[in-house]
Amino acid sequence: MSRVAPGVANSPSMLSSLRRLVLSHEGVLLIILIVSLLLLATQTDRFLTTDNLLNQCRLMAEVGLVALPMTYIIITGGIDLSVGSILGLCAIVLGVAWKNYGLPLEFAIVLCLFTGAAAGAVNGYFITRIGVPPLIMTLATLALYRGFAEGVSQSRSVRGYPEWFYRFGQGELFGIPTQLWFLIAGLLITAFVLSRTVFGRALYAIGHNETGARFAGLAVDRYKMLIYTLSGFMAGLAAFVFVSRVSTTRSDMGTGLELDVIAAVVLGGTSIFGGTGTIIGTALGVVLIQLLKNGLALTGVKGDATIMVIGVVLICSILITNFARSRQATGKAANSDE
Amino acid sequence: MTESGAVLLELSNIVKQFPGVLALDQVSFDVRAGEVHALLGENGAGKSTLIKIISGVYQPDHGHIRLAGDKVKFDTPAVAQSRGIATIYQELLLYPELSVAENIFMGHAPKTRFGTIDWRCMRTLAREHLASLDINDLDVDQQVGSLSVGNRQRVEIAKALSQDARVLIMDEPTAALTGADVERLFRIVRLLRERGVGVIYISHRLEEIFELADRVTVLRDGACVGTSEVVDTTEDDLINRMVGRTIEDLYPKQAASIGEPVLEVQALSRPPLTRDVSLTLRRGEILGLAGLVGSGRSELAQTLFGITPAHNGCIKVNGVECRIDSPSAAIALGIAYVPEDRSTQGLIKPMSIRENVSMVVLKDISNGNLINHSAERDLAEKNVHQFSIRTSGIEQKVEKLSGGNQQKVVLGKWMASDPDVLIMDEPTRGIDVGAKAEIHRTMSELACSGMAVLMISSELPEIMGMSDTIAVMREGQLVATFARGEATQEQIAGAMMGGSRSEADELSDTDNTKGAAA
Repeated sequence: MSRVAPGVANSPSMLSSLRRLVLSHEGVLLIILIVSLLLLATQTDRFLTTDNLLNQCRLMAEVGLVALPMTYIIITGGIDLSVGSILGLCAIVLGVAWKNYGLPLEFAIVLCLFTGAAAGAVNGYFITRIGVPPLIMTLATLALYRGFAEGVSQSRSVRGYPEWFYRFGQGELFGIPTQLWFLIAGLLITAFVLSRTVFGRALYAIGHNETGARFAGLAVDRYKMLIYTLSGFMAGLAAFVFVSRVSTTRSDMGTGLELDVIAAVVLGGTSIFGGTGTIIGTALGVVLIQLLKNGLALTGVKGDATIMVIGVVLICSILITNFARSRQATGKAANSDE
Repeated sequence: MTESGAVLLELSNIVKQFPGVLALDQVSFDVRAGEVHALLGENGAGKSTLIKIISGVYQPDHGHIRLAGDKVKFDTPAVAQSRGIATIYQELLLYPELSVAENIFMGHAPKTRFGTIDWRCMRTLAREHLASLDINDLDVDQQVGSLSVGNRQRVEIAKALSQDARVLIMDEPTAALTGADVERLFRIVRLLRERGVGVIYISHRLEEIFELADRVTVLRDGACVGTSEVVDTTEDDLINRMVGRTIEDLYPKQAASIGEPVLEVQALSRPPLTRDVSLTLRRGEILGLAGLVGSGRSELAQTLFGITPAHNGCIKVNGVECRIDSPSAAIALGIAYVPEDRSTQGLIKPMSIRENVSMVVLKDISNGNLINHSAERDLAEKNVHQFSIRTSGIEQKVEKLSGGNQQKVVLGKWMASDPDVLIMDEPTRGIDVGAKAEIHRTMSELACSGMAVLMISSELPEIMGMSDTIAVMREGQLVATFARGEATQEQIAGAMMGGSRSEADELSDTDNTKGAAA
């Protein structure tokens, strides 16, 4: 690499920015994604079809929606393990409010979203005011909210929603699954907020050094309160989409969702120690996991082997990025010499 | 033991190259048995690299290390330790949850014949080690986490000696100590010297070198500027060699015209460490707040800044009574706080200069919630220029800067908020002489421009050199106030220590030597 260095230094910045892109975690992910797409496409002709890909988008919408605020939370050095249970609770609230209490379905949907936000706000309150570590707090509410869901549902499922309700989970808008519009809108907004606003900057600062952020006058507690509430709200939205997609409400919905979400966020390059991460990375992580699951299933790989492949990909992506970063670091130090 | 005066450790023509930087260039250095050899240099001069080579963390690219005449190679810190090189780093590496005895024997605990730890033997040996250092007031069963910094350091020394250290490296051991603890540490170092241990002593405080060291070696930009007997040198001479220029005055205090009160505090309380404090800070004034570590100075500052809001009392800013219950409230009132601990409180070290400098005022220079990137860059460029921060650019990560430049970033970040009241907590701790003078000059200029400065410092020469008014805190209360030039070091030290005469004497002894050197 040292031999090409003078050439790079003289050439336009396009080459160096290309090099930076390839060396970034997102770049590495993109390459892995393209390679797996091509590999899987050669294995089965049912994989790389518009229908299949759009259908996969439907399936990843719930994980994707919850992964967006989870990225914020992990960037601040926190975690939210309760999202799966919040999803379950919200789904039950939606179904029971409509079926058992006879509320209009529109109102039940609003109540579902509100329940999610409230459940998230409870997490946020205990984490910021009482100082309970996020891992402990959300582990506790993981159990608590699931318990509520089961209690409210009395282990009965709710079915028979009106036709218009299924449009959100099974319908299309301009040829694209409805829930994908939600995901795209959420993605654009969260990505913009994270990279362009004072709020986004504050999240990184909190993740790197919460005390330092506090001493600089940032409203650390308010920001943290906000992102846990947002996380609950998005779990509520995912619950709505989920119920609409599968046409039924059950209290065990979203069990284990938190692990899929966290895997996608971490695969996307967000450091579990806080301070680094992007929404684009998370989006790539969500897509990669979904495509691997689907592609491997289509090529006849069994479920447990698929999980193993995902685990290996997760480890590899982090190894490659670490390797690339250390190469970059030595390269930079050498440059500063000149 | 090795005969006193014989060369224990000898480094010749050590070269160490890092990517982009020649950290050590043909450095030769030796330590004799029974001497304290001080190592002096600005931050970045190569001191840490040199001690890391001696302790086996780094390997030299060229040059030799000889231990008692034999050529040696320290591939790992463990090898260096087994050959009798012990290092006490600035951050003490003890296990706070474990007892004193367990810490001393970590990794080499005496065993019974069944292979389990021989607790009785370990405690007896621990007691012997402590007694041999003249430490009789430490309980070997006490948890290390509950000890003061000074006592923890003594445990660390005992630990080093339990491994038969022949060469002891001490990296700024007094940085976090107060007068009495410093004196106790010095006694131990002298004891070790008598026993024939070679001590390599690193400190930014020149007066300590004159009090303690036999020889001194000065490093500058990775090269050895010279080794001399301490008795043959002067403080001016050493500073000269360190920075390569003469520093006329470490405390360039200009007379400022003192105006109307900006910050008035009455009967402010937040137990246990802020109790019934009243003070007035006026425009153009530098108020020096002296006191021992733990006397409540930083706690008072943090109460004024809203981190630990006051329970009782009254704060007036520019004559208006107000309540400060968060840092953002304090900032809105024009109060800025340069905290004691740069790494955790003052900066977000993994972020860039640009991001750190804009942090306090980001909302003000942005369009609503939307960051205005060009305004942010302009602000950062202006700061780098104004405070002469030495850096490759505003995108440089703050953690890559030297201590002095980091402190300038903290100062720049707070100046961006254009405060009326600037609270500086230990503004020059752990930074080199050159940067220190720059910070002092900036502080003085800010006061002249009408800012009110509250400066907390543990260094009496700094307090006396920079302050218009000196206030002394003890146990959470303001116990004395002096005007500039009115008090002697002894009076201030006496007020810091309070009633107990003997302790006050002990402290003013240390400070006399400091004063004489300064």
